[in-house]
Amino acid sequence: MFRTRTLVALLLLALAGLLAALGREGQRETTLGRGPDRAGGKVERCVTCHVRPEEDPGGAHARAAVGCSSCHLGNELAFDKARAHAGMEAEPGALRTVSRTCGRAGCHVREAQRVATSLMARASGIVSVDRWVFGEIPQPRGAATMRETLAKADPSPAERHLGKLCAGCHLHALRGNRDDAIHGNGSGCSSCHVARRLPGAVPRPHPAVDARVTDDRCLGCHSRSGRIALTYEGLYEVEKDQAGACGDAATTLHDGRPACRAEADVHRLAGLSCVDCHLHTDLMGDGREWEHEEDQVEITCEACHGPVRGGSAGTETTWGEVTDPISRDLLRQRGETRPPEEHVRLGRRGTPVWNLRPSGDGWVTFRKGQGVALATKQTPIDANHVLPGHERLTCSSCHAAWAPTCSTCHTAFDASGKQWDFAKAVETPGRWVETSEGYAARPPALAVRADGRIAPAMPGMVMDLDATSAGGPRASRRLFASLDPHSTGKKARSCESCHLSSWALGLGTGTLDLSGAEPAFTPPAPAAEDARMASDAWTHLDAEHPGAGTRVDLRSLDAKELRRTLAVGACLPCHRDGRDPVYRDFEQAKSRLAAGGTRCAFGNRGG
Amino acid sequence: MILGRLTYGLLLVAVLSGLALAPFWSAARPLESLETLNGATPWGFWLRGVHALSSWGFLLGTLAHLVEVLWKKTDGRLSPGVWWRSVALLPVSILALLGGFLMRGDAEAQAGLAVWREVSASIPFAGRALAALLLGVPGSDLAPVALHHAGTFTLLAWLLTAEHGRALAPDLRSTVLAALGSFAAAGLLPVSLGPAVAPAGALLLGPWYLLGLQGALLHLPVVAGWLLPLLLLAVVGLVRHVDGRWRTTLLAVAAAWSAGYLAFTVRLLLAAR
Repeated sequence: MFRTRTLVALLLLALAGLLAALGREGQRETTLGRGPDRAGGKVERCVTCHVRPEEDPGGAHARAAVGCSSCHLGNELAFDKARAHAGMEAEPGALRTVSRTCGRAGCHVREAQRVATSLMARASGIVSVDRWVFGEIPQPRGAATMRETLAKADPSPAERHLGKLCAGCHLHALRGNRDDAIHGNGSGCSSCHVARRLPGAVPRPHPAVDARVTDDRCLGCHSRSGRIALTYEGLYEVEKDQAGACGDAATTLHDGRPACRAEADVHRLAGLSCVDCHLHTDLMGDGREWEHEEDQVEITCEACHGPVRGGSAGTETTWGEVTDPISRDLLRQRGETRPPEEHVRLGRRGTPVWNLRPSGDGWVTFRKGQGVALATKQTPIDANHVLPGHERLTCSSCHAAWAPTCSTCHTAFDASGKQWDFAKAVETPGRWVETSEGYAARPPALAVRADGRIAPAMPGMVMDLDATSAGGPRASRRLFASLDPHSTGKKARSCESCHLSSWALGLGTGTLDLSGAEPAFTPPAPAAEDARMASDAWTHLDAEHPGAGTRVDLRSLDAKELRRTLAVGACLPCHRDGRDPVYRDFEQAKSRLAAGGTRCAFGNRGG
Repeated sequence: MILGRLTYGLLLVAVLSGLALAPFWSAARPLESLETLNGATPWGFWLRGVHALSSWGFLLGTLAHLVEVLWKKTDGRLSPGVWWRSVALLPVSILALLGGFLMRGDAEAQAGLAVWREVSASIPFAGRALAALLLGVPGSDLAPVALHHAGTFTLLAWLLTAEHGRALAPDLRSTVLAALGSFAAAGLLPVSLGPAVAPAGALLLGPWYLLGLQGALLHLPVVAGWLLPLLLLAVVGLVRHVDGRWRTTLLAVAAAWSAGYLAFTVRLLLAAR
């Protein structure tokens, strides 16, 4: 039988248990939230505690409309803080959980799926170019993503380079493991759709979450590499010791880098933000896995400003023909409608530019943020736009006023150093050291793209690479990159700035002499590998092969194209105007000159 | 035997505390109702603790009493029919407890429900009907589970225990001791709920007493979910009918089965870390 001693012992134990339970009960009572326990038409016990108005993002994502757990996950049924916060997403929008947050059923499923395939998430272009430069793949193309690169257990030298220098900006980058330039941005969707939290700023209300993406959210990532966001704002980065040379134009970027001011893009001066031009497919992708940025971007100058030379680029339709569901949703969310018969301009793959509308005989662009209408000038059919010999030129090859340049990049791996490793989110041994002789801002050079069109280019990787300590190569690269620098000017660059500029033609800094039968070029600082070439050149006048670019088949002008361009340059001092009769049929003019049938004082220079 | 009587007392505590809990639980919103019970109902967490811990105590007591009977060779005191029905108390208790686990409605319970549905459905001929009878059809609420937890299996457990103990109810002293032990344990050992949503990449664990079976099912076909327990029950049941080397052999098989079960449990816990 049970003994009385057992009974007493159990009685005491039960008392201890009840006392412990009493303590827990008191704690439960005092920590219990007093707010309502419903939000968004469902039980949402987060709001029993999170009752402060400043904890409400407002708008379409207001606490009352969607609750907290729709974005932050956790356990919305729990009253207990630890249970409620278990499994929470600290960075809503992060791609690791996006299918359960922004991309959950009933919310932004389609957009979340697209973003995961977009280049901002995959960064496959950066990966392939870097690996190609390191000699690890035969062409600057490939489908490998930054995320896959960072996950590699035994990364190659290029992958280590990417992991330490380039991987801090893609959409998978989480808070605390990001490039300095994007501290304060959210992750994944929130990188663009949540207002930035600046470093050192006092705690502030729950940031707004919306589709009206302001430029400061783009600036972080796009102030690196091609630096288009800086150029758009009229800023170019300089080295610390260069800042003084800017004088009053010197300034400091949001992340502390010194910079100088220059002329901002004409669209920026008109108040247009990045998203006013860029379509949703440019930014979030269209579900296809493009390799490079220029493949994904749909918007063109012609979409807004009309085709050049009066031709039809097939960029216009009526809203009745538009099938793009996201553009239609965007209009619906804004309470806007478009009559089916209204004309609409399209991006390269048919996505409508929904904020560009016909008005009278022309078109107006609406700033998405404020709804302000701006008359959008159509490309005139005038002498400047129908100049013979310029058929291959893209708009930006003439209208890009300047581009940031860095023609001397020295990259070396210091095995004894330490550096942040985005792959591991900690500082690890080994450091990539980049040095240069300074940045500059100058009119872009000209490149020939794979499709044969002429486009602006800037030094992409004119560099000496020493990756031997990382098991990689020691090599010199002389690669230019072609991109729209986002420095569009209303006025095009002058004829001389291409036809008489050694820099624009890819010859680098030096002196051109067009007085002889053959053009001559003298670089004050010849390149180490070839004395005929300037140290900052892409090519030279007698190059057997044109200079290479960071894309398959991107190249500098070849020897023939250079001579053709310079031949016009030789005439420019006298024949300044593009409407000059000599340019109507330049080949004929040259023939007449060669035959001596002209009064030209320049002499018989041949073709 | 003292252990048997105490176990009976624990069953009574489990039943009474279960009755006290019933008004707070919702078949349509199980997790929500239990979160409310735990977080917003005065002494709710403690009452739930008393129920859970007394039930676990009942299962542990039943197992320990079975080992005690086999060790002391007192199984022969029971008639064959009573013995077999007493052996059946083990799966009935487990099914009763499993119902309680499923009634949590959290991520672990939802996963457990899916597993149990598959295991039941793998029984030849009547499997699917049995699964629907015990667990309801997929997508339905947890009312059928609750019915069998509080009704069918609890009633069966009570009847089998009463027959085995030759008493309609436990004695007062056992009941008081069981109650005091449960009260103490509920205060000192809080019983938590599982995660509301399955954490990405994490292995969800079933109830602690079925971890060995869960571990085995990672490697064996789903029919092992009912064949393995049936094998153990057959072996234990047959012990009553044999002596000498055969008894030793059957007990060795049961011991080996238990050791294997324990090994699968440990392996699963290590995998879940």
